[in-house]
Amino acid sequence: MTLVGALIALAVLLAATVALGVFLNWRQSQARRNVEHEVVEPHRLGADGLGEVATLLQFSTELCARCPGVHRTLAAIADDHEGVRHLDVDLTHRPDIAKHFHVLQTPTTLVLDRNGVVQTRFGGAPGRDVLELELNRLIAEDANV
Amino acid sequence: MSERRDAATPRGIDPRGPRFAAGITAVLLLIVVFLGLTGLSTAQTAEGWAISAASVAQRILDPAFLLLLVTTLLFLWGVVSPRTAPWGALYRAVVAPRLSAPTELEDPRPPRFAQGVGLFVSALGLVLQLFGVPWALTIAASAAFIAAFLNAVFGLCLGCQLYLLLQRAGIVGRTRPASA
Repeated sequence: MTLVGALIALAVLLAATVALGVFLNWRQSQARRNVEHEVVEPHRLGADGLGEVATLLQFSTELCARCPGVHRTLAAIADDHEGVRHLDVDLTHRPDIAKHFHVLQTPTTLVLDRNGVVQTRFGGAPGRDVLELELNRLIAEDANV
Repeated sequence: MSERRDAATPRGIDPRGPRFAAGITAVLLLIVVFLGLTGLSTAQTAEGWAISAASVAQRILDPAFLLLLVTTLLFLWGVVSPRTAPWGALYRAVVAPRLSAPTELEDPRPPRFAQGVGLFVSALGLVLQLFGVPWALTIAASAAFIAAFLNAVFGLCLGCQLYLLLQRAGIVGRTRPASA
Protein backbone atom coordinates (compact mmCIF):
# COMPACT_ATOMS: atom_id res chain seq x y z
CA MET A 1 0.00 0.00 0.00
CA THR A 2 1.24 3.50 -0.74
CA LEU A 3 2.07 5.96 2.01
CA VAL A 4 -0.97 8.09 1.19
CA GLY A 5 -3.26 5.04 1.12
CA ALA A 6 -1.92 3.91 4.50
CA LEU A 7 -2.45 7.35 6.03
CA ILE A 8 -6.02 7.46 4.70
CA ALA A 9 -6.67 3.99 6.16
CA LEU A 10 -5.30 5.18 9.52
CA ALA A 11 -7.57 8.23 9.45
CA VAL A 12 -10.58 6.00 8.67
CA LEU A 13 -9.64 3.66 11.53
CA LEU A 14 -9.31 6.61 13.94
CA ALA A 15 -12.60 8.17 12.84
CA ALA A 16 -14.46 4.85 13.06
CA THR A 17 -13.08 4.25 16.56
CA VAL A 18 -14.09 7.70 17.77
CA ALA A 19 -17.57 7.20 16.26
CA LEU A 20 -17.86 3.82 17.99
CA GLY A 21 -16.84 5.36 21.30
CA VAL A 22 -19.34 8.20 21.00
CA PHE A 23 -22.09 5.75 20.03
CA LEU A 24 -21.35 3.34 22.91
CA ASN A 25 -21.24 6.22 25.39
CA TRP A 26 -24.55 7.56 24.06
CA ARG A 27 -26.28 4.17 24.12
CA GLN A 28 -25.18 3.50 27.69
CA SER A 29 -26.93 6.60 28.94
CA GLN A 30 -30.24 5.59 27.33
CA ALA A 31 -32.98 3.93 29.32
CA ARG A 32 -34.74 0.97 27.72
CA ARG A 33 -38.40 0.67 28.68
CA ASN A 34 -39.58 -1.93 26.18
CA VAL A 35 -38.26 -4.75 28.33
CA GLU A 36 -39.84 -7.95 29.54
CA HIS A 37 -41.83 -6.85 32.60
CA GLU A 38 -41.07 -9.86 34.72
CA VAL A 39 -41.37 -9.96 38.50
CA VAL A 40 -38.03 -10.29 40.27
CA GLU A 41 -38.01 -12.51 43.33
CA PRO A 42 -35.45 -11.06 45.74
CA HIS A 43 -34.63 -14.31 47.52
CA ARG A 44 -33.38 -15.82 44.28
CA LEU A 45 -30.75 -13.09 44.20
CA GLY A 46 -29.82 -13.65 47.83
CA ALA A 47 -31.56 -10.50 49.10
CA ASP A 48 -34.10 -10.38 51.92
CA GLY A 49 -36.46 -7.96 50.22
CA LEU A 50 -37.03 -5.14 47.78
CA GLY A 51 -37.49 -1.40 48.26
CA GLU A 52 -40.95 -0.19 49.31
CA VAL A 53 -41.23 2.21 46.38
CA ALA A 54 -38.56 1.06 43.93
CA THR A 55 -35.41 -1.02 43.70
CA LEU A 56 -32.24 -0.33 41.75
CA LEU A 57 -30.96 -3.77 40.86
CA GLN A 58 -27.34 -3.63 39.69
CA PHE A 59 -25.44 -6.54 38.17
CA SER A 60 -21.66 -6.46 38.53
CA THR A 61 -18.68 -8.74 38.13
CA GLU A 62 -15.28 -8.71 39.78
CA LEU A 63 -13.66 -7.80 36.47
CA CYS A 64 -15.79 -4.74 35.78
CA ALA A 65 -14.01 -1.41 35.82
CA ARG A 66 -17.11 0.79 35.87
CA CYS A 67 -19.15 -1.18 38.41
CA PRO A 68 -17.70 0.43 41.58
CA GLY A 69 -18.45 3.91 40.24
CA VAL A 70 -22.02 2.95 39.29
CA HIS A 71 -22.36 1.30 42.70
CA ARG A 72 -21.50 4.60 44.42
CA THR A 73 -23.93 6.55 42.22
CA LEU A 74 -26.82 4.13 42.80
CA ALA A 75 -26.10 3.92 46.53
CA ALA A 76 -26.18 7.73 46.77
CA ILE A 77 -29.47 7.88 44.83
CA ALA A 78 -31.00 5.20 47.06
CA ASP A 79 -29.91 7.13 50.15
CA ASP A 80 -31.58 10.28 48.83
CA HIS A 81 -34.98 8.68 48.22
CA GLU A 82 -37.20 7.21 50.91
CA GLY A 83 -38.22 3.62 50.16
CA VAL A 84 -35.70 3.13 47.36
CA ARG A 85 -33.28 0.28 47.78
CA HIS A 86 -30.06 -0.50 45.94
CA LEU A 87 -29.05 -4.13 45.41
CA ASP A 88 -25.72 -5.04 43.83
CA VAL A 89 -25.50 -8.64 42.65
CA ASP A 90 -22.07 -10.04 41.77
CA LEU A 91 -22.48 -12.31 38.74
CA THR A 92 -18.89 -13.52 38.74
CA HIS A 93 -19.85 -16.87 40.19
CA ARG A 94 -23.52 -16.81 39.20
CA PRO A 95 -23.74 -17.36 35.44
CA ASP A 96 -27.27 -18.68 36.04
CA ILE A 97 -28.48 -15.21 37.06
CA ALA A 98 -26.63 -13.61 34.14
CA LYS A 99 -28.34 -16.05 31.79
CA HIS A 100 -31.77 -15.53 33.33
CA PHE A 101 -31.65 -11.75 32.91
CA HIS A 102 -29.76 -11.89 29.58
CA VAL A 103 -26.93 -9.83 31.03
CA LEU A 104 -24.20 -9.53 28.42
CA GLN A 105 -22.37 -6.58 29.91
CA THR A 106 -21.73 -5.20 33.35
CA PRO A 107 -22.76 -2.95 34.84
CA THR A 108 -26.38 -3.56 33.89
CA THR A 109 -29.01 -1.85 36.03
CA LEU A 110 -32.70 -2.76 36.26
CA VAL A 111 -35.20 -0.38 37.83
CA LEU A 112 -37.94 -2.34 39.62
CA ASP A 113 -41.23 -0.88 40.82
CA ARG A 114 -42.69 -1.58 44.26
CA ASN A 115 -44.03 -4.96 43.13
CA GLY A 116 -40.62 -6.02 41.86
CA VAL A 117 -41.64 -5.69 38.20
CA VAL A 118 -38.81 -4.74 35.86
CA GLN A 119 -39.65 -1.30 34.43
CA THR A 120 -36.43 0.00 32.90
CA ARG A 121 -33.09 -1.39 31.89
CA PHE A 122 -29.74 0.37 31.57
CA GLY A 123 -26.78 -1.33 29.89
CA GLY A 124 -23.54 0.31 30.97
CA ALA A 125 -23.09 3.28 33.25
CA PRO A 126 -26.41 5.18 33.48
CA GLY A 127 -26.50 8.92 33.92
CA ARG A 128 -27.63 10.06 37.35
CA ASP A 129 -30.23 12.51 35.95
CA VAL A 130 -31.79 9.82 33.73
CA LEU A 131 -32.05 7.48 36.72
CA GLU A 132 -33.60 10.22 38.87
CA LEU A 133 -36.18 10.80 36.14
CA GLU A 134 -37.11 7.10 36.08
CA LEU A 135 -37.34 6.96 39.86
CA ASN A 136 -39.47 10.09 40.11
CA ARG A 137 -41.84 8.55 37.57
CA LEU A 138 -42.21 5.43 39.72
CA ILE A 139 -42.58 7.46 42.91
CA ALA A 140 -45.29 9.57 41.29
CA GLU A 141 -47.11 6.42 40.15
CA ASP A 142 -46.81 5.06 43.66
CA ALA A 143 -48.41 8.20 45.10
CA ASN A 144 -51.36 7.87 42.71
CA VAL A 145 -52.19 4.31 43.72
CA MET B 1 -29.87 1.67 51.57
CA SER B 2 -27.12 -0.16 49.81
CA GLU B 3 -25.35 -3.44 50.16
CA ARG B 4 -22.77 -5.42 48.36
CA ARG B 5 -22.06 -9.05 48.79
CA ASP B 6 -18.58 -9.91 47.72
CA ALA B 7 -15.30 -11.10 49.13
CA ALA B 8 -12.51 -8.78 50.17
CA THR B 9 -11.18 -6.93 47.15
CA PRO B 10 -7.50 -6.20 46.61
CA ARG B 11 -6.09 -2.76 47.33
CA GLY B 12 -7.34 -0.18 44.85
CA ILE B 13 -5.28 1.57 42.20
CA ASP B 14 -5.54 5.02 40.65
CA PRO B 15 -7.92 4.46 37.68
CA ARG B 16 -6.07 7.05 35.61
CA GLY B 17 -2.98 4.81 35.59
CA PRO B 18 -4.42 2.09 33.30
CA ARG B 19 -5.94 4.76 31.03
CA PHE B 20 -2.56 6.48 30.70
CA ALA B 21 -0.99 3.11 29.86
CA ALA B 22 -3.78 2.40 27.36
CA GLY B 23 -3.05 5.73 25.66
CA ILE B 24 0.61 4.81 25.11
CA THR B 25 -0.41 1.31 24.00
CA ALA B 26 -2.89 2.82 21.51
CA VAL B 27 -0.15 5.00 19.97
CA LEU B 28 2.17 1.99 19.66
CA LEU B 29 -0.60 -0.09 18.06
CA LEU B 30 -1.48 2.69 15.62
CA ILE B 31 2.18 2.74 14.50
CA VAL B 32 1.99 -1.07 14.12
CA VAL B 33 -1.10 -0.69 11.91
CA PHE B 34 0.73 1.90 9.80
CA LEU B 35 3.81 -0.33 9.46
CA GLY B 36 1.51 -3.25 8.62
CA LEU B 37 -0.28 -1.29 5.91
CA THR B 38 2.99 -0.20 4.31
CA GLY B 39 4.96 -3.39 5.06
CA LEU B 40 5.05 -7.11 4.44
CA SER B 41 1.68 -7.91 6.06
CA THR B 42 -0.40 -6.36 3.27
CA ALA B 43 2.14 -6.06 0.42
CA GLN B 44 1.28 -7.58 -2.94
CA THR B 45 3.58 -8.61 -5.77
CA ALA B 46 2.84 -9.79 -9.29
CA GLU B 47 2.64 -13.38 -7.96
CA GLY B 48 0.24 -12.57 -5.13
CA TRP B 49 0.75 -11.82 -1.43
CA ALA B 50 4.36 -10.95 -0.68
CA ILE B 51 4.14 -12.58 2.74
CA SER B 52 3.34 -15.99 1.23
CA ALA B 53 6.66 -15.97 -0.63
CA ALA B 54 8.65 -14.52 2.30
CA SER B 55 10.80 -16.70 4.53
CA VAL B 56 10.01 -17.03 8.24
CA ALA B 57 13.00 -14.79 9.03
CA GLN B 58 11.63 -12.10 6.72
CA ARG B 59 8.22 -12.37 8.39
CA ILE B 60 9.88 -11.88 11.80
CA LEU B 61 12.12 -9.01 10.68
CA ASP B 62 9.14 -7.06 9.29
CA PRO B 63 9.08 -3.80 11.34
CA ALA B 64 5.37 -4.21 12.09
CA PHE B 65 6.04 -7.69 13.50
CA LEU B 66 8.90 -6.45 15.69
CA LEU B 67 6.92 -3.53 17.13
CA LEU B 68 3.85 -5.71 17.76
CA LEU B 69 6.17 -8.20 19.46
CA VAL B 70 7.30 -5.42 21.81
CA THR B 71 3.67 -4.44 22.48
CA THR B 72 2.75 -8.08 23.11
CA LEU B 73 5.58 -8.47 25.61
CA LEU B 74 4.33 -5.32 27.37
CA PHE B 75 0.83 -6.85 27.53
CA LEU B 76 2.40 -10.00 28.99
CA TRP B 77 4.23 -7.88 31.57
CA GLY B 78 0.93 -6.20 32.47
CA VAL B 79 -0.72 -9.58 33.04
CA VAL B 80 2.13 -11.23 34.95
CA SER B 81 3.15 -8.30 37.14
CA PRO B 82 0.86 -5.24 36.85
CA ARG B 83 2.66 -3.41 39.68
CA THR B 84 5.98 -3.29 37.82
CA ALA B 85 4.69 -2.83 34.23
CA PRO B 86 6.64 0.07 32.65
CA TRP B 87 3.76 2.43 31.71
CA GLY B 88 2.18 2.04 35.15
CA ALA B 89 5.53 2.72 36.79
CA LEU B 90 6.05 5.74 34.51
CA TYR B 91 2.59 7.02 35.48
CA ARG B 92 3.28 6.72 39.20
CA ALA B 93 6.78 8.23 38.94
CA VAL B 94 6.17 11.11 36.52
CA VAL B 95 2.48 11.78 35.89
CA ALA B 96 0.70 11.05 39.18
CA PRO B 97 2.78 13.50 41.30
CA ARG B 98 1.70 16.34 38.96
CA LEU B 99 -2.01 15.49 39.28
CA SER B 100 -4.30 15.85 42.25
CA ALA B 101 -4.85 12.77 44.38
CA PRO B 102 -7.33 10.28 42.87
CA THR B 103 -10.91 10.83 44.02
CA GLU B 104 -11.64 7.12 43.82
CA LEU B 105 -9.67 3.92 43.62
CA GLU B 106 -10.30 1.08 41.22
CA ASP B 107 -10.11 -2.69 41.50
CA PRO B 108 -6.84 -3.71 39.74
CA ARG B 109 -8.31 -6.96 38.36
CA PRO B 110 -10.39 -5.59 35.43
CA PRO B 111 -7.46 -3.73 33.80
CA ARG B 112 -5.31 -6.81 34.29
CA PHE B 113 -7.92 -8.98 32.59
CA ALA B 114 -8.09 -6.46 29.73
CA GLN B 115 -4.29 -6.71 29.36
CA GLY B 116 -4.81 -10.44 28.97
CA VAL B 117 -7.34 -9.87 26.17
CA GLY B 118 -4.86 -7.52 24.47
CA LEU B 119 -2.15 -10.15 24.87
CA PHE B 120 -4.36 -12.79 23.25
CA VAL B 121 -5.34 -10.62 20.26
CA SER B 122 -1.83 -9.34 19.51
CA ALA B 123 -0.25 -12.78 20.00
CA LEU B 124 -2.79 -14.18 17.54
CA GLY B 125 -1.68 -11.56 15.00
CA LEU B 126 1.98 -12.50 15.52
CA VAL B 127 1.35 -16.24 15.12
CA LEU B 128 -0.72 -15.77 11.96
CA GLN B 129 2.01 -13.55 10.50
CA LEU B 130 4.53 -16.33 11.21
CA PHE B 131 2.30 -18.71 9.25
CA GLY B 132 2.25 -16.19 6.40
CA VAL B 133 -1.40 -15.07 6.61
CA PRO B 134 -1.78 -11.74 4.80
CA TRP B 135 -3.44 -8.85 6.70
CA ALA B 136 -3.68 -10.89 9.95
CA LEU B 137 -1.14 -8.80 11.85
CA THR B 138 -2.63 -5.53 10.64
CA ILE B 139 -6.20 -6.54 11.53
CA ALA B 140 -5.18 -7.87 14.97
CA ALA B 141 -3.28 -4.65 15.69
CA SER B 142 -6.32 -2.61 14.54
CA ALA B 143 -8.65 -4.56 16.87
CA ALA B 144 -6.27 -4.08 19.80
CA PHE B 145 -5.91 -0.40 18.88
CA ILE B 146 -9.70 0.11 18.95
CA ALA B 147 -9.92 -1.45 22.41
CA ALA B 148 -6.96 0.51 23.79
CA PHE B 149 -8.17 3.81 22.28
CA LEU B 150 -11.72 3.40 23.64
CA ASN B 151 -10.23 2.64 27.04
CA ALA B 152 -7.88 5.62 27.02
CA VAL B 153 -10.27 8.24 25.59
CA PHE B 154 -13.75 7.09 26.66
CA GLY B 155 -12.98 4.90 29.66
CA LEU B 156 -14.80 1.99 28.01
CA CYS B 157 -13.35 -1.45 28.71
CA LEU B 158 -14.24 -3.87 25.91
CA GLY B 159 -12.16 -6.64 27.45
CA CYS B 160 -14.19 -6.33 30.66
CA GLN B 161 -17.45 -6.52 28.70
CA LEU B 162 -16.22 -9.71 27.06
CA TYR B 163 -15.93 -11.31 30.46
CA LEU B 164 -19.57 -12.33 30.80
CA LEU B 165 -19.62 -13.73 27.27
CA LEU B 166 -16.55 -15.80 28.03
CA GLN B 167 -18.05 -16.86 31.32
CA ARG B 168 -21.22 -18.01 29.65
CA ALA B 169 -19.16 -20.06 27.24
CA GLY B 170 -17.63 -21.72 30.31
CA ILE B 171 -14.11 -20.46 29.63
CA VAL B 172 -13.60 -18.32 32.73
CA GLY B 173 -15.01 -17.77 36.18
CA ARG B 174 -16.52 -21.13 37.07
CA THR B 175 -14.47 -21.62 40.17
CA ARG B 176 -17.59 -22.40 42.14
CA PRO B 177 -20.45 -24.50 40.82
CA ALA B 178 -23.43 -22.44 39.76
CA SER B 179 -26.44 -23.18 41.91
CA ALA B 180 -29.90 -21.79 41.44
